Amino acid sequence: MSKIDFQELVDRYYVPLYRFALSLSKLEADAADLTQQTFFLWASKGNQLRDRSKAKSWLFTTLYREFLSRRRHEVRFPKLELDDVREEEMSISPTVNAFDSATVLQALREVEEPFRAPLTLFYLEQFSYQEIADVLRVPAGTVMSRLSRGKALLRQRLLSKEEVLGNKVAAFQSDKREESHG
Amino acid sequence: MDNREAKFILSAYRPGGQDASDPRFADALEQSRRDPILERWFSESIAFDAAMTEKLRAAEVPPDLRKTILAGVKVSRPLRWSKPFIKRAIAAALISMAILGSLIWHETRPTHLAGWQNQALDVISSLVRNESSFDAQSHNVSELMAWLRANDAPAARTLPQNLDKLESIGCKTISWNGIPVSVICFMRRDGGLIHLVTMHASAASDRAIKRKANLVQRGHWSTATWREGNMIYMLALEGSPDQLWTYLL
Repeated sequence: MSKIDFQELVDRYYVPLYRFALSLSKLEADAADLTQQTFFLWASKGNQLRDRSKAKSWLFTTLYREFLSRRRHEVRFPKLELDDVREEEMSISPTVNAFDSATVLQALREVEEPFRAPLTLFYLEQFSYQEIADVLRVPAGTVMSRLSRGKALLRQRLLSKEEVLGNKVAAFQSDKREESHG
Repeated sequence: MDNREAKFILSAYRPGGQDASDPRFADALEQSRRDPILERWFSESIAFDAAMTEKLRAAEVPPDLRKTILAGVKVSRPLRWSKPFIKRAIAAALISMAILGSLIWHETRPTHLAGWQNQALDVISSLVRNESSFDAQSHNVSELMAWLRANDAPAARTLPQNLDKLESIGCKTISWNGIPVSVICFMRRDGGLIHLVTMHASAASDRAIKRKANLVQRGHWSTATWREGNMIYMLALEGSPDQLWTYLL
């Protein structure tokens, strides 16, 4: 790939790659480093890619594998059951628009990683389940399962934040009432 | 297909409607049209997904990330291969450096200049103000580098791609705590100056210096520092980081 093509590649994908990395890692600096490392690997290895139409998938796959590779040094994978999703878990309740972007991102980060990665690709880039399967190297059926279960977990996280938010608002209103009466 | 199964499948349906013609969703979509309860759930699900997309896409990206990516990759100039053994050697070096990069992944990058860098900037400032003089002067940078080597001063093996097209002015050697540091000054095409500072990596105590160029500003100076092989380089000019990056790309 020529120099200009490389810049085009960076311009096109560095923002979604960074946001994907940000959902995976806990620190912004780590997310930026993951993004940089992905493009560095492209410069050193990506030129071997014969089908240039797969560059996007290559970049997301590489970033995800880099993340997993680094994380193996930090924690052991928790054993997670990807069993069937209960219907009640799929109920819709939290109002996403009640939260700011940082809170929503935090809720997403609290979802276990096997579910978080497909969720992020689904939301950020609107990848199809098949594209997510290609990036994460898992069967399409597994992606559907993780999306369904992941959304249920995400709703739970948002609901708990909604409760915290509600308690804070209630406490604030209670304090105000006491002040006005006191 | 019951509603539970339909919900499971529709969870993978993208809110933008790109999957409308995907046969895998056809039955579930059809069922959502027939069943008002499922239809309402699906409508809420799509709204939830659209809101999530909007919120997550609002996450801010570091303003210098693009420049850092481009500079970090291009400083190393890994793409010019001519002979197979050179190709293999460079590939091996890149892989080694990638592994090294992974080992030091969590180190923070410096946001201030080290002692040798500050001293080098002070010397450069005095050169710019004509308060001190060059050790050697030439418009040919090869001659300056030969002079530095002949005087046991650190000299770059290769210059950043856009720097070797510039006309050099002169060079100066300085000593920082007994460690030799060299400076070469170039004339930029816009009439300003740009300076390359070089020292041996073994002499630097700062292990945070990496292959990816790190940008630090001091006053009106912009600097980029990186490690390549056994050498550490700092490029400096009086101006904005944007002006500096053009010499790293």
